[in-house]
Amino acid sequence: MPVKILLVEDNEMNRDMLSRRLLRNGFEVVIAVDGQQAIAMASSENPAIILMDMSLPVIDGWEATRQVKANPATKAIPVIALTAHAMAEDEKKARDAGCDDFDTKPVDIARLVGKINALVGSSS
Amino acid sequence: MTETDNQALSAAQERTLLRATLENMSQGVAMYDANHHLVTWNERFRVYLEMPDEFLGTDRTFSDYIRYLGERGEFGDADIEVELKRRLSVLDTSHSFERVRPDGMVLEVRRDPVPGGGFIAIYTDITERKQAELAIRKAKEDAESASKVKSAFLANMSHELRTPLNAIIGYSELLAEDAGDRGDTAGLADLEKIGAAGRHLLGLINEILDLSKIEAGKMEVYIEKVVLRTMLDDVKSLVAPLIEKNGNALVIDCPDDIGALRTDLTKLKQCLINLLSNAAKFTKTGTVTLRVSRRDDTDGTPHIAFAVQDSGIGMTEEQIGRLFQAFTQADSSTTRNFGGTGLGLTITKHFVAMLGGTINVTSTPGEGSTFTIDLPDRAGIAPHEDNVIDVDDGMRAASAITVLIVDDDDAVHDILSATLGREGYLLLHARDGAEALTIMRRTPPDVVTLDVQMPKVDGWSVLGIMKSEPELQNIPVVMLTIVDDRNLGFSLGASEFMSKPIDRNRLTALLRKLTSSANNATVLIVDDDADVRNVVKQTVEAAGMKSAEAENGRVALQWLEANTPPALILLDLMMPEMDGFEFLENIRKVERWTDIPTVVLTAKNLSDRERSFLAERTLLVLSKSGQPIGSLGAALSALARRGQAVKPNTKE
Repeated sequence: MPVKILLVEDNEMNRDMLSRRLLRNGFEVVIAVDGQQAIAMASSENPAIILMDMSLPVIDGWEATRQVKANPATKAIPVIALTAHAMAEDEKKARDAGCDDFDTKPVDIARLVGKINALVGSSS
Repeated sequence: MTETDNQALSAAQERTLLRATLENMSQGVAMYDANHHLVTWNERFRVYLEMPDEFLGTDRTFSDYIRYLGERGEFGDADIEVELKRRLSVLDTSHSFERVRPDGMVLEVRRDPVPGGGFIAIYTDITERKQAELAIRKAKEDAESASKVKSAFLANMSHELRTPLNAIIGYSELLAEDAGDRGDTAGLADLEKIGAAGRHLLGLINEILDLSKIEAGKMEVYIEKVVLRTMLDDVKSLVAPLIEKNGNALVIDCPDDIGALRTDLTKLKQCLINLLSNAAKFTKTGTVTLRVSRRDDTDGTPHIAFAVQDSGIGMTEEQIGRLFQAFTQADSSTTRNFGGTGLGLTITKHFVAMLGGTINVTSTPGEGSTFTIDLPDRAGIAPHEDNVIDVDDGMRAASAITVLIVDDDDAVHDILSATLGREGYLLLHARDGAEALTIMRRTPPDVVTLDVQMPKVDGWSVLGIMKSEPELQNIPVVMLTIVDDRNLGFSLGASEFMSKPIDRNRLTALLRKLTSSANNATVLIVDDDADVRNVVKQTVEAAGMKSAEAENGRVALQWLEANTPPALILLDLMMPEMDGFEFLENIRKVERWTDIPTVVLTAKNLSDRERSFLAERTLLVLSKSGQPIGSLGAALSALARRGQAVKPNTKE
């Protein structure tokens, strides 16, 4: 059974690109377009891992991560933060919010798949 | 012709000459004798001061003149007799000051004693010069605000540019994967070129964004304990592909017991990656060495030096000189041959400076270059110590404290949300002053952080409105502003604070620290307590300096107007007539006085009035740049508790 990824991304093109590349790499992908939907789908879809964009409408990625990590039912799901620019502060901010790992967009797909496998392997 | 005739004629000629000289001067002149009687004057004096002919006569005295001006309203609301006394008290020394006449003319008045008694007063019209100075200052302010606009524009622009660029890079990679699957090598090569060009452009945009953040003072520094070996391993794996690309080898030379350094981890990493990737870029099949060493400063501060040495093409002196300028590389052909944005070193230099360190480069053409970053351990760095309110250990239990963040900058909201939200604060957000007031009236928060500079209604105006509304006036406010290093934390405009009773050793130390040339410098002591003045005076004079005294702020201001600015002002806060706060406000309005270091003398425990003054203004000025958010959180917690103590019924 393929590993199920919850991809949280508001930008349509980024969503399309990344989901197609993840599917091609053998993952199952479910999509949330804002932070609120992400929190709901973390519970309802029970994904193996969440890829979280940080600047999201309604509830941003940092807050959504905090809520996912605050809920006993979802806190074990690893979260990888994806931000557009590897600013010095971004990685720290993401980790402070509870993210397990961090990567920058545009993604280096091989590196990202490596990170996904490392986290999914360790949590299962 | 007799000798006497000759002399008499000479005297007459001399008088004519003197008169001609006086009348041809571009200044107004008036001379007074030892009894302060008007002896002579020129036409320009009459014109500048608009003196009626009937006033001008040798039976008039200096006091008559000053009183006449005062009655005519030239000194505004000031007490004429005080003005006169002040002027009379300084007639035996050369002095000068500036005065604005009611018609707007700015006069520089200079009075010098003359041999044998009496004095000469010279009036220069400096209106044009003053206007030019104003124009220059305005131009400078305009330029600074234009620079801020530019930085904001760049930051927004970078974001807007990155979004479509991500799509270009992402889809080119997607297509490249397809092409690879189909075995279409020609298509694959072209698509990889599109991707590579896109990534180059992205790197450039990201560096421009970094630089604009640095220039706008919005780059934050997070000091943490960095375990050097771990950090170096991380850096090594990150630069490995770059090192290998040109067939180079990376050698890391670092003692096993190198230990840790308190600094900003991500900035240090970025600096090292910049230097190592540069070294790799300019070296072919050579060696890049990163040498790490520890030393102690003369004052005992540990320093760590990171030296990146390559065996590459090296640089001439002239090329080194251009190295750290934005968009310049050692040679304009460098970009063509070696790529890169030319911003990496500029950013590295800024980062190193933000971390309190230095960067040096040595190079020999054809043999290679060595870049060395030297960083101090930032253990003792707790900025704003004097202003940050003490925090109890229980501050982590900040639960259910509501903080309203008012800022037009999204980055500030993000940063505060990330740090304060984690600590359990309930955060409210407002992007401008009007929105802030609406939220406050609906849901009064426990603390407000207020940006000083916002469009439409600025922070000070919001503060003013809050203080006029009973429901809002007790809410503590933290003003967030970007302040320069010199003013950092000294919200009252003072350089130092000293508590009474005066510790003479500490005062002597302060005098040495704040006055560069101790000898002959004047220290102005402003205190209503004669005993305090006396003690301070003795200390000042024992340190080889002159002292001047004033019993309140008004007298001190008068002294400042009549004298050259002193090397230092020692200032009491609570005084009759004009207190220290008002005095500080006044001297901050006059440019030539703003640079005088001021030491505030204050009782160990602030009085109720001082407290209420501070509470009224809530002048806790924290800087956005360089302010560790930890201490902001601490200040907020303490303020929130203070606010709750003030309004015990609002939170149950």
